[in-house]
Amino acid sequence: MTGVKAIAIWLSVSIFIFVVELVRREKLSFKYAMGWLLASSTAIVFAVFDRLPAFLSSFLGFELPSNFIFFSLLVMFIFLSLFLTIFLCRQESRNNVIAQKMAILENEVEQLKKTLLKEAKDKE
Amino acid sequence: MKKQTILIIVPAFNESGNIGRVIEEISASPLPVDILVVNDGSRDDTAKEASQTRAGVISLPFNLGIGGAVQTGFQFARKHGYDVAVQVDGDGQHDTQFIGDLLAPLKADRADVTIGSRFLAPFLGYRSTLIRKIGITFFSGLISFLMRCKITDPTSGFRAYNKKAIEIFARYYPHDFPEPEAILVAKRLGLKVEEVPVQMKKRQAGQSSIRYFKTLYYMVKVTFAILLDMLKKKKGMER
Repeated sequence: MTGVKAIAIWLSVSIFIFVVELVRREKLSFKYAMGWLLASSTAIVFAVFDRLPAFLSSFLGFELPSNFIFFSLLVMFIFLSLFLTIFLCRQESRNNVIAQKMAILENEVEQLKKTLLKEAKDKE
Repeated sequence: MKKQTILIIVPAFNESGNIGRVIEEISASPLPVDILVVNDGSRDDTAKEASQTRAGVISLPFNLGIGGAVQTGFQFARKHGYDVAVQVDGDGQHDTQFIGDLLAPLKADRADVTIGSRFLAPFLGYRSTLIRKIGITFFSGLISFLMRCKITDPTSGFRAYNKKAIEIFARYYPHDFPEPEAILVAKRLGLKVEEVPVQMKKRQAGQSSIRYFKTLYYMVKVTFAILLDMLKKKKGMER
């Protein structure tokens, strides 16, 4: 086994285990762990059967297998960051809705308190 | 006919020098109105100063920007069943004597949203910096072209809204720099928009949210927002 192959296997397996551990400790929900588990299992398969990426890259017409790997990683990260932006945007709009609702409720609670206090005073 | 209930929405971000006077001016008008200050996460005494007046105060837990603040006002107006909402900025720029003029087209059922325009004849006088004039002219041209209707002062935040408009904007109102975009939203969702000539004053304290260096960014951003808005669905909101 070559050194590169050992490093690749070691790295992909540790990412896989790390993600599983995060889910187990409830630091990561299954929904978001899915993508990472999928990606690291693909990496494990590629690292173990290293003729697979070479075959795929020549089949798709890449000059070098490394080009193919870099290209795939780049595409993956572009989509990942796009999805993260969508997620962030959704969180922000939910945050805003909560802030607005909370502020209006706070105002109403204060008004209610005032009228109740006034009624109590009037009774005395 | 039942009397119309009117809510004056005053969005305020760090306006501690202005807010008291603005509320005083609004109270001086002969119209029976309720005043709601939406304190947009100010770091100064805006909320305290406002709560010492007759106005109601809603304090947002953090700064949402003018769009989010005004929208909070619409949500309050909807929840409490107001017939009309008027937006008067907390910096004291808007001359409150013109509130009656803004309300007239709504009462006559000619419009759902009225915009107080500094540039509509009869010209009541307004001086501005050159760069701001260029910006306003640009947006006026762009929106007038896209909407096939004349809008002379698209950045004016001095506006009145009827019940239909409150209902729509409580659900969806653009954030960041919302004034020009809101005109498109209104048109897209079938609201009638009309301009009314008004006068505006110079700022008394503090700074406008749109400063020199930001003007270019503002223009580019709003242009994109407006163009993207054109691609959205004609009617009905998904949110």
